[in-house]
Amino acid sequence: MNFKKALIVFRKEILEMLRDKRTLFATIVLPVILYPLIFIGSSSIMSRQADILDKRGAVIALMDSLSYDTPDAKEIYETVFQTLQETPYVTTLENPPHLEMLYEEREILAVVSISDTVSTSGVPSYRAGIRFDASGDQGRLLFEKLQKSLSQVNSKILAKRLSEKGLEEEYIHPLTVKQFDSSSTEKKMGNLLGMLLPYMMILMLITGASVVAADLVAGEKERRTLETLLVSSATRGEIVLGKYLTVFCMAMINVIINLISISFSVKFLLSQMGFAEQGLQLPIKSFMILLLAMIPLATLFSALLLSISTFSRNMKEARTYEQPIMIVSMLLGMVSFIPAMQISNLMALLPVVNIALLFKGILIGEWELSHLLITVGSTLVLDVLAIWLTVKLFHSEAVLFRTEEDGGGLRSQRKSKRGFFNPFNGAVYFSLALVALYYLGTKWQMGNLVNGLVKTQLLIIFLPVFLILGFLKIRGGEARKLLRLNAPKPKELLLVPIIAISAAVTVSIIAQLINQVCPFPPEYLEGLEKLFKLDVPTWQMFLVIAVMPGICEELMFRGFLIRFFEKGKFWQSVIISALLFAVFHLDLFRFIPVLILGILLGYLSSRSGSIYNSMLSHTINNALALFIGLFSEQSWMKFIVVDAENLRYWVIAPALVILALSLWAFHKVTAEKNENLELGLEAENR
Amino acid sequence: MIQVQSLVKEFPQKNGNTFRAVDGVSFEAAHGEIVCLLGVNGAGKTTTMRVLSTIFKPNGGSAQIEGYDIVSQGDMVRRNLGFLSGDTGLYMRLSPREFITYFGRLYGVEEQDIKKRIDEMATLLDMHDFLDKKMEFLSSGMKQKASIVRSIIHDPPVMIFDEPTSGLDILTARNIISFIRTCRENGKCVLFSTHIMREAERLADRIVMIHSGKVLAQGTLQQMREETGFEDLDDIFVHYVNQTGMELENHEF
Repeated sequence: MNFKKALIVFRKEILEMLRDKRTLFATIVLPVILYPLIFIGSSSIMSRQADILDKRGAVIALMDSLSYDTPDAKEIYETVFQTLQETPYVTTLENPPHLEMLYEEREILAVVSISDTVSTSGVPSYRAGIRFDASGDQGRLLFEKLQKSLSQVNSKILAKRLSEKGLEEEYIHPLTVKQFDSSSTEKKMGNLLGMLLPYMMILMLITGASVVAADLVAGEKERRTLETLLVSSATRGEIVLGKYLTVFCMAMINVIINLISISFSVKFLLSQMGFAEQGLQLPIKSFMILLLAMIPLATLFSALLLSISTFSRNMKEARTYEQPIMIVSMLLGMVSFIPAMQISNLMALLPVVNIALLFKGILIGEWELSHLLITVGSTLVLDVLAIWLTVKLFHSEAVLFRTEEDGGGLRSQRKSKRGFFNPFNGAVYFSLALVALYYLGTKWQMGNLVNGLVKTQLLIIFLPVFLILGFLKIRGGEARKLLRLNAPKPKELLLVPIIAISAAVTVSIIAQLINQVCPFPPEYLEGLEKLFKLDVPTWQMFLVIAVMPGICEELMFRGFLIRFFEKGKFWQSVIISALLFAVFHLDLFRFIPVLILGILLGYLSSRSGSIYNSMLSHTINNALALFIGLFSEQSWMKFIVVDAENLRYWVIAPALVILALSLWAFHKVTAEKNENLELGLEAENR
Repeated sequence: MIQVQSLVKEFPQKNGNTFRAVDGVSFEAAHGEIVCLLGVNGAGKTTTMRVLSTIFKPNGGSAQIEGYDIVSQGDMVRRNLGFLSGDTGLYMRLSPREFITYFGRLYGVEEQDIKKRIDEMATLLDMHDFLDKKMEFLSSGMKQKASIVRSIIHDPPVMIFDEPTSGLDILTARNIISFIRTCRENGKCVLFSTHIMREAERLADRIVMIHSGKVLAQGTLQQMREETGFEDLDDIFVHYVNQTGMELENHEF
């Protein structure tokens, strides 16, 4: 890797970018004009609009619904009438005829009706009802005005009554509540900006970077300049690095210009509204930290968008593929609007969310160094992955020189069964299953948990596999081969329980350790406990929690889904299916434990060529959790168990040793078989 | 020089099968010689050239450019190779001078050498008027001249031209043809591909006929005429295709 060559690429790209009017507009001109328009424009327009609405005037009706004709009542009514007449831009009609019709036709915009009652001790009380249309701005403004006028009436009469009795006003206010805000003005300002700013910054970062990224590789493909670049003596890594630096640099320029534009607009706004005199200042120091915090996010987006650009055939395609990333990032960035949401160590692990919350934390001054470090660290890990992916794509001929021809729909795939099992179809299938699980599965389980679990396993996980196989006309021996329904060796069956138990113990200790760093919320633990305290016989629980998932989930993930990703290396398909397996559990807190289990299960079935191995292992794993949950209170369990969720830490030592030994033995036993992992469908295809 | 031995290139297809675009191609090209890869569209000419210029990795066989292996010594291969095709694009927001300088730097040519070479070539090709105008304002002939200079900015001993005249008007095509001849005069090793028989007749010292990824025949035009008894290159080509029993699909020549 020659950094000088990457710099040559970088310099040329920047020169081209700066000559492109579209890019210049999106990265520099837009932010410069946008914020003044948003901040200053909208606030002045808003106040002016309210003024216009007010001055337009409104006709209201005052209805006399009094049932007692006492001097008291008369006085109240008169005072109300007088006050309403004194209210500016409001015309009051007394008891107009055809009231309903006029109100419907919006000739009359509000109705004030005065009614009265008498309490049990004989004191009369009066009520002024305001009828208005709260869905319109005009209605709401009018209501506020009328409410203000009528409460004036209240205080007027109150004052009069008090003076008649010779009492002071303090008499009826024995306790007044007053607030003393201890927060600094910076913090208040930060709170306000902390909601809005992270979201806007993330938005602008992506828009800026995506324009540039799409141009850099997909654009070169479209203009047919990529080939020339590839035969030059720059390596592909150098080209990627140069282009990556370009996207990053343009994204950061965009961010800096945005920040400057925002600070000027806010400053101008503050001085206009007279806050500057009260000492309300922009938190410049926080802005500087924000800028630093933006760097990892900018690197991540640069790498991600560049890989999309590399994958795409042309710029239009690149912009299309960028859409989902932009939408997801925008949604994630919106967490800053959620009131009580604050940065924590767990939140710092989630991309985009961490930056948005860290921003908010920095602006209100509530954050810790660990948050910053985890945020930067986790983002950098993803970042390196994305760059690695881009370089990989750059080395892939199939990607760099993708042509317009395509496999053409489901019909042709039905003919070519082997072609059906590609990563794209796998992703579609998995997404559909995930959506079904999210909407149907959770709904079913909310009703009757046991019933819902059975339905989920059978209808969402088990059944679709066979429907798709039926559609592809894969039956009998072919289907058995595809799903790896091959009898395991006796030696394997002997080893699997040992592997399963030692792995289950190891994984639950890992889960406990994760729990130490990012504690599970109490509601989550209660939900788990509910599962173990169901009012059903133990054998039923065993079936529902251990046996059914063992069979159904294994068929779906290790039998079927893994086949979509088997083009590459052995571990690639195992890890991808394990990742999907972990996602499918819709459980952030158990993601890593489930992922590890998924990798183990994938290894067991793919290595041995028999899915029964992973089915057995999965069943034992779940049964063990059930067993511990049921008997954790027993005294004879206490030497290894703390409670239903926690094992004693010492058990990890023997568990790891046993796991390593049994896996080694399994690897040896299966050595001869793993050569033959073909899909078993070629013969039919030729 | 270029040495190619039993080169194979396969592409995976959507239906899971693989397509052999280049199927055991062997030939050589020496310095001071123009060798023409002749074949219909889709015969495997472009794929062969892309493998030789290290854009694609071969699935079998081997090849050397100036003795450097195209797989293990890709960097040295690219340094010794100039590549030009008829449909390559240009960076529209750069001027020819910036464009050529960019590639000169990527090839690691010294700044003063880049300047000197641009100056020489601009005089030779009559480019001084538009050397500093942006590409988007240039005619196709001017752009092609910029591409020519780009391809030889690092003074490579081997030149590969992939359908260099396709899509160009007659005058621009003539520029290219005379440039290819100049390369031979300067002792470079030239490999060029075309589907136009006349072009091969006029330019090539030796012809390598390719069809369906395989070499049908190779030699000088004279040798081919004697062997087949036909005068016209069109007839010679069809003769060889028929001989192998391969189908000549409805390709235009």
